[in-house]
Amino acid sequence: MKDRYYAGFMQEKPRWMRSLADLRGRLFVFITDAIALIYLWTMVSYCWNTFVFQTKSFVTLPWWVMLLVVIEAAALWENFGVSIGMKLLGLRLTSADGSGPSMGDRALRYLTWHFSGLPLVGVVAAKDGQAWHDRLSGLRVVGAEDVETERYPWYRRSWSIALLVLLIVTLVAAMLVTRVDFVKFFTGAPKTGRIWRAFLSPEWSLLGDGIRLLIVTVFMAFMATLFGVICAVPLSFLAARNLTQGLIGRTVYTIVRGAMSITRSIEPIIWAIIFVVWVRVGAFPGVLALFVHSVADLTKLYSERLESIDPGPVEAIRATGANKLQVIIYGIIPQILNPYLSFTLYRWDINVRMATIIGIVGGGGIGQRLYQYTKLWRWSEAGLLMLLIMIVVWAMDYTSSRLRARLG
Amino acid sequence: MAKRPSRLKSTRANSLPALLGAIRPRLFAFLLDWTSWGYVAYAVMFLINRYWFVRYVNFYGTLTLPTWGWPLVVLSTLELVVLSHAFGHSIGLSLFGLKLLTYSHRFPTAWDRISRYLWWHAAVLLLPVSLWRSGRECFLLHDVRSKTCMVPLAEVKDELPVTRPRPWYLTNRGLMAVALIGLTFWVGWQATQINLERLFSRAPKSAYLWKALVTPDFKHLAMPDPELKDSIMGGMLESIFMALLATIFGGLIAFPLSFLGARNIMGFSPLGWLIFTLARAFFNIFRSIESILWAVVFAVWVGFGPFAGVLALTIHTIAALGKLYSEQVESIDPGPLEAIAATGARRWQVVLYGVIPQIIPSYLAFSLYRWDINVRMSTVIALVGGGGIGRILFYYKGQVGRLSNAWNQVGAVVVAIVAVIWLLDYISGRVREKII
Repeated sequence: MKDRYYAGFMQEKPRWMRSLADLRGRLFVFITDAIALIYLWTMVSYCWNTFVFQTKSFVTLPWWVMLLVVIEAAALWENFGVSIGMKLLGLRLTSADGSGPSMGDRALRYLTWHFSGLPLVGVVAAKDGQAWHDRLSGLRVVGAEDVETERYPWYRRSWSIALLVLLIVTLVAAMLVTRVDFVKFFTGAPKTGRIWRAFLSPEWSLLGDGIRLLIVTVFMAFMATLFGVICAVPLSFLAARNLTQGLIGRTVYTIVRGAMSITRSIEPIIWAIIFVVWVRVGAFPGVLALFVHSVADLTKLYSERLESIDPGPVEAIRATGANKLQVIIYGIIPQILNPYLSFTLYRWDINVRMATIIGIVGGGGIGQRLYQYTKLWRWSEAGLLMLLIMIVVWAMDYTSSRLRARLG
Repeated sequence: MAKRPSRLKSTRANSLPALLGAIRPRLFAFLLDWTSWGYVAYAVMFLINRYWFVRYVNFYGTLTLPTWGWPLVVLSTLELVVLSHAFGHSIGLSLFGLKLLTYSHRFPTAWDRISRYLWWHAAVLLLPVSLWRSGRECFLLHDVRSKTCMVPLAEVKDELPVTRPRPWYLTNRGLMAVALIGLTFWVGWQATQINLERLFSRAPKSAYLWKALVTPDFKHLAMPDPELKDSIMGGMLESIFMALLATIFGGLIAFPLSFLGARNIMGFSPLGWLIFTLARAFFNIFRSIESILWAVVFAVWVGFGPFAGVLALTIHTIAALGKLYSEQVESIDPGPLEAIAATGARRWQVVLYGVIPQIIPSYLAFSLYRWDINVRMSTVIALVGGGGIGRILFYYKGQVGRLSNAWNQVGAVVVAIVAVIWLLDYISGRVREKII
């Protein structure tokens, strides 16, 4: 980038570009700190509300109070310590002569900071790229590697204390939000005695039915993987950055990658809900849901592999005057065949796992029957089906990992 | 007559285990081919049932074999295996690298093959006697009588005459593989009731669904739904926290367990082997049951709610992280360990100062990856009473028919899920890149 634009006639980037980058850095620091503090505020409010008022609410004071406090606190933090945002960008506050800033300078910078909000934009035009509060207090923000400061232990660095507080507050809030109750965990255990006893005496008369359902489940995974591979292989070529060049190529790349990443974020079970509405209950919606998710996942895996191919053979074949198709067949495919196979096996493994639970929403297979039994509290039957699932998933996992190890 | 290869006459396996080890590839190839022929038999029966029996004989019933049918199927598949082993190159043989050759390493004649096939029937009855009698690799009765043997291909490759490799569609195994895949496709199409006609004919009917999903209704993004008493953001936070707690609890428990599941730490003493096997079996068994099924059990245990989801995710996380962690422990550099052991350190000191510093970064990376997966899983675990954003999703889905904009609300939840998962995926990917 730099070479292309500046080599020969310009030593470094123009000043306004540097100032803009500087401004972006300042904004990043401030927004990071503000987000951290807002998060802290909200979580502390939640804990406070739970402990004091026994209500489940994230709000204590009006939002503008929170915003004011957070902004002031962030400014204080950045002037009197090293905030998380500053730590992330590796920035430190120092005086112009390079010595450590005094408390008075820091206080002056903090106070003048309030008046330099708008002139901050003027930084871009200012000659030395300094904002008002920097100039008035004689302090400036520099990279951490430029200042020699003694290393404090962690309890004297404000950002590490802040991280610790964030961690503790997150843990407490998480326990409250998810209603973790270890008393219930121990007192509730006897309630499940019946389940474990039933699991230990599975209903063997269901074995034939169970195996038949299991076969359907494995076939669901097989069909989904097969169709998935058929769609994902061509799509992966469109989703590889190194193969899609030019305006059209880039557009196609962006669209395919975006669509696939959205599709992949939605669990197969949610897809199954949609397909059950579309094609009615049965194994077919399960296959469709797994297929959609497989296409997205495989396209991502495949295209990442395509992006990391060795360009040498491709260029060699292109140099012989081969056309695009020949380049793909003789230059690319030999390089990607084994990884593709191993990704496919991996995906088949996942699909078998998923196929065992997709029946919960009406997607067919062994999961549908299993879910019905658990709803009816017929744990002996459920235990047998779980046992079958365990055996099949374990066997699939074992064979696929052995085969993948062979493929390398 | 060329000289008889030395290994056939001299290699005498004296003990039974050594003998079994010598014929292991033959046995495995045999079993694999038997399985594949059995699979073909199953598929054929399935298709007969689907296309002929159910349609023309008995609409309601399923074709079941008479009592004598099962032995017949077993025997006929057995015959097919023996035939394919004597007359061709089956999948099992090529997978285990075996080839049928005469004692003098020539290709057997048709007569050799027939004699081998016929003698096999006597050989299988005399198998225990043969094992006891003689300890050579080609010692079974049909080997001896037909003067042919299954030879490991890798050992005799150089002695064989060079032949042009035939295209796959002319080889036995190629045709068999294609037939198996085709048959699987056909049976799979039938077994999973794939119905493209319904997919397309109902597509217009599902259009309203898509229309609603892409026009999400964010009314309850931050404002709690009065009936549900929760908002989408609240549910999302619950999901993220569920996944976080499950990852922390699971990681803390998996950390000590991972040393028990690592070969190089446990050593090869009988006790170490036992602990290793138990730990690995625990990981495998608990990993194979999806966390959503665990949630069913925990919903009974601690009642419906996010805590049941946390516990369900924790169980699966322990098993999954335990396996990943212990594989990581197995792949550490032994150098520092030996250096520390050489100073006279005890075993726990070796682990503390030699192993743990090496594995911390990858443990963190795996845990982050697991958190990612747990967030994905926690979006659906509410289906069985596990709490999280899924509770809101399935609530609105259940309101279809009652609320006119139920699908739009579902769309809003799905959009929120996509956004959060995408963001977490991106962040955890970036952080993992930095750690490793």
